[in-house]
Amino acid sequence: MNDAGGNGSAEDLARAAAIAIERYSLAYSTAAGPFHALKSVSLTIPQGRTVGLVGESGSGKTSLAWAIMRYLPPNAVEGPGVIRLGGENLIEKSPAEIASIRGRRISMVFQDPSASLNPTLRIGDQISEVLMRHQKLTQKEALEEAAAALERTGIHRPRDIMRRYPHQASGGEKQRVVLATAFACGPECIIFDEPTTALDVITARQILDLFVRLRDDTGVSALYISHDLALVSRIAHEVAVIREGEIVERGRPAELFSSPKRDYTRALIAAAPRPENRLVTSRIAPAAEPLLSVRKANVRFGQPTRLQRLLGQTRAPVDALKSVAITVRPGEILGIVGESGSGKSTLARVIAGLQDFTGEIGFADRRFARRPDLDRSYRRSVQIIFQHPDASLNPRQRVKTILSRPLRLYDLARRGEIEDRVASLLSRVLLPANFSTRYPHQLSGGEKQRVAIARAFAAEPKLVVCDEITSSLDVSVQASIARLLVEIQAATRAACIFITHDLNLVRQLAHRIGVMNRGELVDMFETGDVNAADRHPYTRELMEAVAVPPWG
Amino acid sequence: MRDLLRHPTGVVGASLLLVIFLAVVAGPSLAPYDPQSFHPQARLQGPSATFWLGTDQFGRDVLSRILHGARATVLFGLGATLAGVSVGALIGITAGVAGRWIDSLIMRLLDGMLAVPDLLFTLLIVTVIGSSTGNAMLAVAVAFSPGMARIARSAVLSVRTRDFVQAAIARGESRAYIIGAEVLPNTIGPVIVEASIRVSFAIMLGATLGFLGLGAQPPSTEWGLMIAEARQFMFRNPWCVAAPGLAIAIAALGFNLFGDALRDILDPRGRR
Repeated sequence: MNDAGGNGSAEDLARAAAIAIERYSLAYSTAAGPFHALKSVSLTIPQGRTVGLVGESGSGKTSLAWAIMRYLPPNAVEGPGVIRLGGENLIEKSPAEIASIRGRRISMVFQDPSASLNPTLRIGDQISEVLMRHQKLTQKEALEEAAAALERTGIHRPRDIMRRYPHQASGGEKQRVVLATAFACGPECIIFDEPTTALDVITARQILDLFVRLRDDTGVSALYISHDLALVSRIAHEVAVIREGEIVERGRPAELFSSPKRDYTRALIAAAPRPENRLVTSRIAPAAEPLLSVRKANVRFGQPTRLQRLLGQTRAPVDALKSVAITVRPGEILGIVGESGSGKSTLARVIAGLQDFTGEIGFADRRFARRPDLDRSYRRSVQIIFQHPDASLNPRQRVKTILSRPLRLYDLARRGEIEDRVASLLSRVLLPANFSTRYPHQLSGGEKQRVAIARAFAAEPKLVVCDEITSSLDVSVQASIARLLVEIQAATRAACIFITHDLNLVRQLAHRIGVMNRGELVDMFETGDVNAADRHPYTRELMEAVAVPPWG
Repeated sequence: MRDLLRHPTGVVGASLLLVIFLAVVAGPSLAPYDPQSFHPQARLQGPSATFWLGTDQFGRDVLSRILHGARATVLFGLGATLAGVSVGALIGITAGVAGRWIDSLIMRLLDGMLAVPDLLFTLLIVTVIGSSTGNAMLAVAVAFSPGMARIARSAVLSVRTRDFVQAAIARGESRAYIIGAEVLPNTIGPVIVEASIRVSFAIMLGATLGFLGLGAQPPSTEWGLMIAEARQFMFRNPWCVAAPGLAIAIAALGFNLFGDALRDILDPRGRR
């Protein structure tokens, strides 16, 4: 990776600005009055430089991207201020002029590559369309040029990819295609809106390396939007932190992260998980009798039904879990990491009794060989918390109904006590007692996840399965949820299976870590041994792909 | 309710419905004349101070007949929809909850019924069981139920895979609790919305059946029947066709806009 922070800002000042935003404001008019998305934002992207824009959801970072692209919804109201591209004010341009600028002089790369490619057009046609439109190439020349552009992104057989439709390409290939399209016309500036967030760790790393290589080859200026401080600090020459539509701090990454001036920046830096910053202090005796032991668990999807077999249709079934064996000791936090599709969520569903399996689950001194055998007492002892709190709470039930349900179901409280118990559950997850009369949609994402945690612990479980419970939350909320979980876990001594793709986070709080890949458990180790020599190659590959916060 | 008043379509729909329901409730007492009394001296007249919307071929006051007919027409639409929605929703929820081959069987049968256009289907039923208001209502209800069943089923299916239902299964909840407390309350929304839009189709189907002489029978003041009776005199006095036609249009539009607004408001994505 190149030395991003090495150039002095005096040199930056001498460079002409590719994009210059001066005191730009933007509001959306809504039924509840105007919502100010951007408040007098000033930002300069010098030519050939990458500026990182870091902020949490709702901070206005995507609004800024759309404002530069001149693609605003009808209810947008722009305040005074200018957005200049190479000296020309974009705000004063006519729609036709903007259309010829977009894609040619300025382009954009989105978070989700499958959403930004047209599913009904072949990939080759999508790249060549941009070239034909802006470079006035003939179709033959454009296809030629598209193949060359794809080759530059490291795709080995570009002709092959160009004949395919987007759904026939992998996520990494699609994002390469999007990058190739963005770079195709040699634009002055490219806006990257979280281009690696939707990708797996290893693919994300490859795309990031590709971005750096293409940027250095072409000398393009870039605005790189992300919520990931560690990632931005590696690639940007300058970082701007945005909060509630205002840029609160700017500076070179090394300086910004080592000596932040504003409290918000400091909080943001503190919230990013750092592996050496352990949240868990307890130790688990290695010889302890396991609480849960899963043996030879297999799950197979897409097995042909009896009718299909009768009709002679055969499909290759997918093995979501291949003979997986894990043990969890009482009071232990077991981290499970892996990329999407590695089977980690399937494992969670098997343990929570939501997925049919073959094999055996041992819990305390009982044995279960089939899902229907998992009875209410097992289900009470093993609770699950899901990734999306929006989906895991019934929108038609008040918080008190949601929290009192486990108490009633498992007879954990007498009728008169339920209200008190709900209040104490809420206080345990640091929510005020009057939240009990609210509906889920009246809560924020983090508050909803707290309610979901309270519901799981209401059953007084011995094991809680946490399936990516922090992934859909903002960085600062993530940190508080992780800390809360560890606190409750320590107080109740319940064991915990913590499933995540965030390797920095799992190293903060797990006693042991299991690594899954393609339905198999490939590695299992004590957290302290993460860098030991006998780690599985895949584990090492994962660890290397992740940006560890450099400051501290 | 406040949301409804802020929704422009909702305001228009609600005001139209208000007018219609005023006629349903108080129509007969507001009517200036007896709807069946003949005025032989004043047949097929246009609007005047004495007959605000003119008279028909027997000299009956069109305004009075429309006011009297509101009840029959609108209640027909509401009744048919209510019956069709209840039966359809019940079938759809059963299919969605049962799943597997029961679901496939029910849905294939309903697909077959859906393949026949609503009007043709109601005509078929009325021809078989005989023409009367009650039978026409029954026919419309039967024609509606497959569509409603589909909507109810898809609502059940989309709710069933949501995490809160999965959480209930993981807790070890009984089937009855999961269906009654977790699934059903979340499927009611789309069913109610669809029902309110369907009322307008029911009114139009009812009027069509009346027009074809297969629904209400003379001397009923049902709006469709009024148009059918006055049809041959349309060129001498267009008002005796246009006025009840307009009344049908207002009722149908009212329910339709109201249902559309309801859909926007009940959609949780639109709620802040």
